[in-house]
Amino acid sequence: MQASFTVNGTVRSVDVPEDMPLLWILRDKIGLMGTKYGCGIAQCGACTVHLDGIAVRSCQVRAYELDGAEITTIEGLGTPDTPHPVQEAWIETQVAQCGYCQSGQIMQAVSMLSDNPSPSDDEIDDVMSGNLCRCGTYPRIREAVRLAIQKQGA
Amino acid sequence: MGKLRTLTRRTFLVGSSAVAGGVAFGVYRAKAPFENPNLAELPEGAASFNPWVIIDAEKITLIAPHADKGQGVFSAQAALIAEELDIELDQVEISFGTPDKAYMNGALTAAMVPFPQYDYGKVAEGARRFVGGVVRAALPIMGTGGSSAMPDSYDKLREAGAVARETLKAAASQQAGVPIEDLRTENGAVWLPDGTALTYTSLAATAAQIEPVTNVALRDPSQWRILGKPMERVDIVAKSTGTLPYGIDYKTEGMLFATVKVNPRQGGALISFDATAALAMDGITDVFEITGGIAVVANNTWTAIHAANAVTCEWRKATYPPEQDAHWAALSASFTDDRLNAEARNVGDVDAALGAEVIAEYRSPYVAHAPLEPLNATILVSDDRVDVWTGHQLQMFAVDMVAEITGMDGDNVHLHNQFIGGSFGHRLEFDYLKQAAEIAVKMRGTPVKMTYSREEDFAHDFPRHITMGRGIGKHENGKVTALDVQIAGQSVMTSQMSRMGFSLPGPDTQLHEGAWDYPNLNLPNIRVRSYKETGLAPVSSWRSVGAAPNGFIYDTLLDETIHAAGADPLMERIRLMGHEVSVKVLETVGEMCGWNGHDLGTGRGRGVAYVFSFGVPVATVVEVTQTDRGIRLDEVWVAADVGQVIDPVNLENLAQGGTLFGLGHAMNCEITYSDGMAQQSNYHDHEAMRLYQAPKVNFTALENNPKIKGFGEPPVPPAAPALGNAIFAATGQRIRELPFNKHIDFV
Amino acid sequence: MQSLFRIFMPVFVCILGTISWADGDTPATISAPAAGSVTPAEGLAAFDRVYEVVSHPRCANCHTGPDNVPMWYGDSAGPARPHGMNINAGQSRIGVETLICSSCHRTSADLRSAPHAPPRAGLDWQLAPVEFEWFGKTPAEICAQLSDPDRNGGRDWMGLAEHLVDDAGHFGFVLWGWNPGGGRDPAPYSLQAHVDDVLIWGVAGQPCPVDTN
Repeated sequence: MQASFTVNGTVRSVDVPEDMPLLWILRDKIGLMGTKYGCGIAQCGACTVHLDGIAVRSCQVRAYELDGAEITTIEGLGTPDTPHPVQEAWIETQVAQCGYCQSGQIMQAVSMLSDNPSPSDDEIDDVMSGNLCRCGTYPRIREAVRLAIQKQGA
Repeated sequence: MGKLRTLTRRTFLVGSSAVAGGVAFGVYRAKAPFENPNLAELPEGAASFNPWVIIDAEKITLIAPHADKGQGVFSAQAALIAEELDIELDQVEISFGTPDKAYMNGALTAAMVPFPQYDYGKVAEGARRFVGGVVRAALPIMGTGGSSAMPDSYDKLREAGAVARETLKAAASQQAGVPIEDLRTENGAVWLPDGTALTYTSLAATAAQIEPVTNVALRDPSQWRILGKPMERVDIVAKSTGTLPYGIDYKTEGMLFATVKVNPRQGGALISFDATAALAMDGITDVFEITGGIAVVANNTWTAIHAANAVTCEWRKATYPPEQDAHWAALSASFTDDRLNAEARNVGDVDAALGAEVIAEYRSPYVAHAPLEPLNATILVSDDRVDVWTGHQLQMFAVDMVAEITGMDGDNVHLHNQFIGGSFGHRLEFDYLKQAAEIAVKMRGTPVKMTYSREEDFAHDFPRHITMGRGIGKHENGKVTALDVQIAGQSVMTSQMSRMGFSLPGPDTQLHEGAWDYPNLNLPNIRVRSYKETGLAPVSSWRSVGAAPNGFIYDTLLDETIHAAGADPLMERIRLMGHEVSVKVLETVGEMCGWNGHDLGTGRGRGVAYVFSFGVPVATVVEVTQTDRGIRLDEVWVAADVGQVIDPVNLENLAQGGTLFGLGHAMNCEITYSDGMAQQSNYHDHEAMRLYQAPKVNFTALENNPKIKGFGEPPVPPAAPALGNAIFAATGQRIRELPFNKHIDFV
Repeated sequence: MQSLFRIFMPVFVCILGTISWADGDTPATISAPAAGSVTPAEGLAAFDRVYEVVSHPRCANCHTGPDNVPMWYGDSAGPARPHGMNINAGQSRIGVETLICSSCHRTSADLRSAPHAPPRAGLDWQLAPVEFEWFGKTPAEICAQLSDPDRNGGRDWMGLAEHLVDDAGHFGFVLWGWNPGGGRDPAPYSLQAHVDDVLIWGVAGQPCPVDTN
């Protein structure tokens, strides 16, 4: 099928199987590699992107859902030279070890903070526990989220 | 070649150095036995003073040959060079370099001598030098593992930086006609007395014409600018902006995508397959047989995985027992003289020792590595060369494996090592690489990226080896008097080395590592024996290898015996230890948590554990509360001594992460076999730690260890026994089998 | 917001997939027995079957209590445990307070899903209202609840049957229960049999079992 949607502000039209997941459309068709494959079944959160402003697991979004959708990936959030405030918090806290999950962690955190600018520790735990980090950077993820809250509140 | 990609605002280079033709230099010092691999293709006007530094008129390139799978060694290696080179990390490009024996890991042999790593006596050190020399001559291994990157790099890379610096000063002296003594270096330049700065890049051509200066002294740590202070990892911006390419992200023109489906009964053959349904799918290029299974090549990864699921295969049986119970039964029957792997330690007389006995049996299961980046490799087989883009910890073996399958001379196999999204040991294995090579041979002329599905990754992991422990602890008058520990395990080294074409010479030290070298120098009676099983599932090194199961067995037995004796778990461990560096670690963790006994009142408790692994003593205290829905992990304190700290920020991150890694797997992870297949298929049933369960982890690093040590693995082993000991303190329930959630719930 | 097209376009996709009725048909029909034609014993027997359905993991896992935590339980999910990843659907029962269910459970009439992947349905994935708590409840408790308009959405027995058919017509959770995808066990019997059993039970006067213990 032909799916037309917006990725990071750019209109994309791709010819793909109708149930091809957005994750693989981004990676193998569009070439945006910041969104990661980890499990394929929404168990790890590494593929988290924003669909119409809400965090979703892109491995679960099928091509037929995409027509007219607005997608934001980690690449659309900020750049190395002009990172998003949440990315700045991640950099300053030096969260990453292997870093493979961090695109998804950051996308989930940004979505959380846009809904709830100052989540409690329990709320952070509730929202962020769907994002698996095999290296165990969780203490720093919590710390970075708190720093991001400060940055965005400032 | 030479396609450099800008990765971050701190630009650095990934892949092989972009050099061709050029000037040759002498080897920079007599004791460096291998030629500098950078010299072969060095362009005119570029200088490479040693295997780790290349400078030309445009840029400075530092070679960081150790694989980076998240532990931060890419950054740390560069920092070691930059410290002595008087340059900042944002002024250089960093490359993983080309696999070469010049980058042999000189620290891997530390564990190959029969002396515990806390023994720095003349005999032990002499033996290490001797074995190191033999290995260097016979089989120089370039590799990353065993928490060895820092011990291997610490002197070598600082020397590399110092040699380059002094050579650049000599070049500046010649170019400017100023005596060397009047020159100083700072910020990537040699400074003349009049304040003129000659950048290193401007000196490259002159430096290329002179012999490297080799009589250099390393700076005292008190003079350091970079090392020992909080650093910003050079990959942190890229990893926080989704711009760091891992192996799985490699892309090139005309590339196709593949996956494999290999007999889930490990090592079993493929009898037949039917790919009719798969071949009918849009986007499929081909489905064909490879060793032990099939490969699917398609125009995207999802289609390849989707199609592979649609291929029906008939498989041969596995060579190991199909059902999990038989694995435990085999280990249970392995505690016999003919299976004795080693009597690794025998002090005093455990049989004659007096005291009441604690008798216990422990189980540590198979556990998956399951790094978040699924295994992958991109390979292009051309007429005269093979290019491989993957992340691997044993780079030269990886080249050899690909050379053998592609029929290409090893010199023409070019491995471009990539950043790795976690390994935990899985990237020491070769199956995925060999499969990718088989696919690339079939698809000659087309680059093909082979990616495992997560399910294939689980089915084809070589998990942590299964282990059973039997212990007798004795105590008298409130003191522990003897520990007799027997450990039977599937031999991880036998299994792993067999896949590299080696047989294991001598006993498998991983079957008692972490137990035999648990100091306890004041305990009069200790015996540690290990028993080797080889007929079970194929297994591989899993972060901290033997020290995780063995540390769990040894320390839990110790804890049980201390409790039976009525002694304080921390004080008695300190009394028994007798190894000063370790005593300080235990005392420190006690101070950090305000230790005042293990019992914190109803439903709350603390457990302490200690394990010595990879030369690092680590003590961990876990505090838990029993809630109406299960055990909650409240807080953790960790103290460790790695010797000189290179980057306190990264060290703390590794301490937190390694501890949570150890805790998470102890709580809820095991691989079990049924019908010869791993029953766990994805993260829903092999979950490890999630954020909501992760307690705060406090960390203190001590620096009394006489030599620098690595810290990728040592935080892991004490986590499991500390948690088990805490659960006992809180509930009175002693759990002797991992994972703990088979016996208790966690919230 | 997603366009209706994006939500229901998959209907046409899935008709080719797992759903077995033909285009234009309804998934189940309502045909109540004549008044007085069902004995109380037959009504109780029908309720036993209704209970088998509503206590089945496909149904009960999302009919959980005031902690707002869905459950993972049954066949491929193993012994009962709270939904992994610390999921809490919140008082909204749809996760807006924390992680909205549809982050993973997509709204789609295409009910197919991979093994262990989040199932999807044509209605936004959510927990049933808290007063409809079924998980771990006894037959008598659930029967009383289904008979109580305050705890069943203000419905009589016919209303319950109509609710089942209506939900199924939206490719909702009722239909999903018998078409769960991903190798999951479907709820017992069939949607039509379940509707029929509710009607039999209703015509019999909604008799309720007594818990034996």
